[in-house]
Amino acid sequence: MSYIVPIGPYHPALEEPIHAKLYTEGEVIRDAEVFVGYNHRGIEKLATERNAIQTLVLVERVCGICSHSHAWAYAMAVEAINGVEVPKRGEYVRVITGELERLHSHFLWIGIALHIIGHDSMFMHVWDERECIMDMLEELSGNRVNYAMVTIGGARRDISDELRLSIEKRLDKLTDSLNRVIELCVNDKTVALRTKGVGVLTTADALKMGAIGPHARASGVDVDVRRDAPYSAYADFDFKVPVVESCDVYARVVVRLLECAESISIIRQALANLPSGPINLGNKLPKIKAGEFTSRHEAPRGQLIYKVVGDGGFNNHRVSIHVPSFKNTPTVPVMLRGNTVADAGLIIASIDPCFSCLDR
Amino acid sequence: MQGYREVPITKDDIVPTALKMKHGGVFLAMIHGYIQSDGQVRVSYEYAEEPEIVAYYVVGESVLPSISDIYDTAASWPELELHELLGLEFEGLDTSKRLFLPEDMLETEGRGQILVKPLSELRAARENMEKE
Repeated sequence: MSYIVPIGPYHPALEEPIHAKLYTEGEVIRDAEVFVGYNHRGIEKLATERNAIQTLVLVERVCGICSHSHAWAYAMAVEAINGVEVPKRGEYVRVITGELERLHSHFLWIGIALHIIGHDSMFMHVWDERECIMDMLEELSGNRVNYAMVTIGGARRDISDELRLSIEKRLDKLTDSLNRVIELCVNDKTVALRTKGVGVLTTADALKMGAIGPHARASGVDVDVRRDAPYSAYADFDFKVPVVESCDVYARVVVRLLECAESISIIRQALANLPSGPINLGNKLPKIKAGEFTSRHEAPRGQLIYKVVGDGGFNNHRVSIHVPSFKNTPTVPVMLRGNTVADAGLIIASIDPCFSCLDR
Repeated sequence: MQGYREVPITKDDIVPTALKMKHGGVFLAMIHGYIQSDGQVRVSYEYAEEPEIVAYYVVGESVLPSISDIYDTAASWPELELHELLGLEFEGLDTSKRLFLPEDMLETEGRGQILVKPLSELRAARENMEKE
């Protein structure tokens, strides 16, 4: 029997609104379509009536998970247009915050994936471990989300010696936690049975459709803006870009776990070599010179693109925001084909979608 | 470090440029569009020629050839977005389904106005709609 199974836009298996239409034969999905736009807030339009400092506050509200990434990518574009050089210490603070954000985002996603496959004890365990990262972010910025650590020309809060030691201590604990989570995820039979061979996106399809971030790296595509087009202080750090070639949901779990280990390593290197000097260039409201720039930042879900156009005034002429989910969401129908309806929620979630980001 | 370079092209260069990039294994980072201060629309095809973005841009054209058959959804989604929010037409693009706007706005005054009209006019239109 053929059925059309609608999922969403508001559904218990979805963390954010998307509408998926599954065309099925019995339990098997033969084809699928996805529809977005349920969270469109016109943020790009609002940005045209705001100055650079107001825009930092605005773009941090695009997403609750990768808010630092948005502010950072916007600041990078304005700084490039204005020819501003950010003090090295400010760049290191940005990197430390950014990698902590990646850690909490990946732990959050791994927890959700485990919840969807029905392994709630592990879900609670992973989210419990995630609290260690949230504590570090709170200690660093004063907030658990929307850290407000970025300003045009640097960072807003410095890292004292006391804070550095505290973060290093927490990183030791986090490393132990991560190793336990990796062991659980890699060796657990339930995780393997529910994720191996499920939601395959071949390397050819990933390349054809322009998939990015951990989603692409789990399909054998070796891309990472931090390495391919280094920005901020990333050229100062040694890190690997994990790539897995099994192209399934399991690969997406493994890639993100391995990336967590690399993020911890980057934070350790940054803390150990924190340069002296100022963290920013002061608090003067900058004009945005006439010109444009497209900045790219490797956010937790992949390449985040900000195009900023200035006309010489205080306000932006145009801010164009394109998030990783904009590139990865169209791959969902391809991954759904041939799988069962029971796996649809997990497959949609496996791209670590953020529709709040996508819709803006 | 990241770089950014602009290259002006004509409408006729869009497809050959996309084919050249695709065959060279270059990633289409994004297609951006906006209305310039002089009122002309500018569409920028931005390719990641690492470590820089090369922006091949066209000015003053509201009907453009689609490159979705070359770059698949990496092109069709940005083109649909520009179709809905900036009112551009892409020859060869399937526009039968919406991307961001509600379905009942696709064929009405909503399409192509969000990034064109000033925010004050959009707010006033919304208030009038609510009153009705």
